[in-house]
Amino acid sequence: MRVIIPLLLFAFQLGAIVYARFVPTRYFCWAPYDTQTEYWANATVNGHALTAPEFRHRYRRPRHGFDNRSPQHVIDMLQQVEQKRAALGEKASVVVEYRVNGKAPQTWRWPSTSPQREVD
Amino acid sequence: MSSMSTAQQPASGNASSEPKPSWNPLKCSGTDLPKNLAIMVKTLAIAALIVNHVRILPDPWLPFVPFLDRFPPVLFQKTLQTLFLVSALAIVFNRRIRLFSLIIGSTMLVAVVSSKAYYGNNKTFCGLMFLLAGLYKPGAPNFFRWQLAITYFGAGLNKLLDPDWQSGIFFENWALNRLHQPFYIALNSRLPPLVLARFMCWATIVTELAIVPCLMVRQLNSAVVFCNVVFQASLCLFEGTTFTLFFYSMTACSLALVKWPDQPAPVFYDPSRRVSHVARRFFTAWDLDGTFHWIPLESTPRGRSPLYLFAGKTVYSGFRALQMIFLLNPVTYFILAASIASLQSMPADVGTFLRRIVVGSSLVLLAPPFAWILDRLSGPGTLSSHPLPGPVHERLSA
Repeated sequence: MRVIIPLLLFAFQLGAIVYARFVPTRYFCWAPYDTQTEYWANATVNGHALTAPEFRHRYRRPRHGFDNRSPQHVIDMLQQVEQKRAALGEKASVVVEYRVNGKAPQTWRWPSTSPQREVD
Repeated sequence: MSSMSTAQQPASGNASSEPKPSWNPLKCSGTDLPKNLAIMVKTLAIAALIVNHVRILPDPWLPFVPFLDRFPPVLFQKTLQTLFLVSALAIVFNRRIRLFSLIIGSTMLVAVVSSKAYYGNNKTFCGLMFLLAGLYKPGAPNFFRWQLAITYFGAGLNKLLDPDWQSGIFFENWALNRLHQPFYIALNSRLPPLVLARFMCWATIVTELAIVPCLMVRQLNSAVVFCNVVFQASLCLFEGTTFTLFFYSMTACSLALVKWPDQPAPVFYDPSRRVSHVARRFFTAWDLDGTFHWIPLESTPRGRSPLYLFAGKTVYSGFRALQMIFLLNPVTYFILAASIASLQSMPADVGTFLRRIVVGSSLVLLAPPFAWILDRLSGPGTLSSHPLPGPVHERLSA
């Protein structure tokens, strides 16, 4: 057991490293501080625009912040919260503008849509 | 650190010949882990306690393992916090440290998979260090070496395949816009665009990927330990932070790659020199585990080193011996971890400044080049490397 558990953990990590090549997320694949994402987000729930404290309480992130991993990690959190809340009957819309490594801004919206370049 | 770094796997603890574990948190001997692993987990536990990591252990929230959010949130969080705190304190006070390493490591990894808000590479790596120590089995491969290799491989590969790392865009943005790093800005302004950024990116990629094969070559162990510590310290110096628990975990992992002396290491000193007595009194005062056995030299020809340290099969003299006496004393690591971690509570800019001072000065003072320079600069009759005198030479030949 004291050998098998470490071996299983290593196999899992190697699998995660390979898996990360095919998806935008970077979970469990040892990519710390490989991407700098700056984002600005706004959310409206049942017609009410969330204040900064309300936003932090709902998504456990600030409305404006940084993430030192893939932007998909930020998007994942917002999206998964809304998927869960939608089942409870809440109607929310979220708009996230983000920059990856200081490059041109992109936008993600909930519901729907994949990331798009901002049109000047 | 050559004698400390020849081990393919951690040395096994010998419960029958060692004293019972002490409640004194500065002691390490007599525990159910080899001494190097005991120092590693105690160092991590001290850092985790001082930065108050327990407060950010989560309740289940967008877990990676779906069923975890069926647990009552408060009960789940309080359970994790209790296990974490009890285990960390048990490790610090030398109580069943292998078992409690297993518990605290499992607790941290459960926390990681239970919340996307808590998830982080630093917490995962720290949890794995504790867990692997808890699973330590004499005679098994050194899994810490494997873990470090996978970590560096994953980090290096991801950067290698990232266009922003290939072009230097990542580093340019990070250093200029995020950190406002004054040294980088000054140097960058004298160079063509992106040259420095590209150099830093590729230097990082090459370092991370080069460490991986070196970890598998026993003869390169000293170099790997040195590179790992210097690389992590450089990151800490550049950014000014410890990346939560990452700096502590990655540097502490080096301890798992080295072998500690099984027996008290003999230190031969010249009793006719005042500096020898000062050194002996100073180091004996905090050698709580009895790591060193100080023996006066019977005869020391003029101009020879007043100090010789035998560690394993290696003999150190002069300033290098002094440096090794620091490095072989567990208290050194506890003090370093505690002093760096305690800066967390200071205002950010003060903490960053002091952290750089502590990490930078430790890196310089405890790295082999510093002792080598001092030994070269010092003249005959001072603390410097010299051929071995009679009694020491006899011991070498024995």
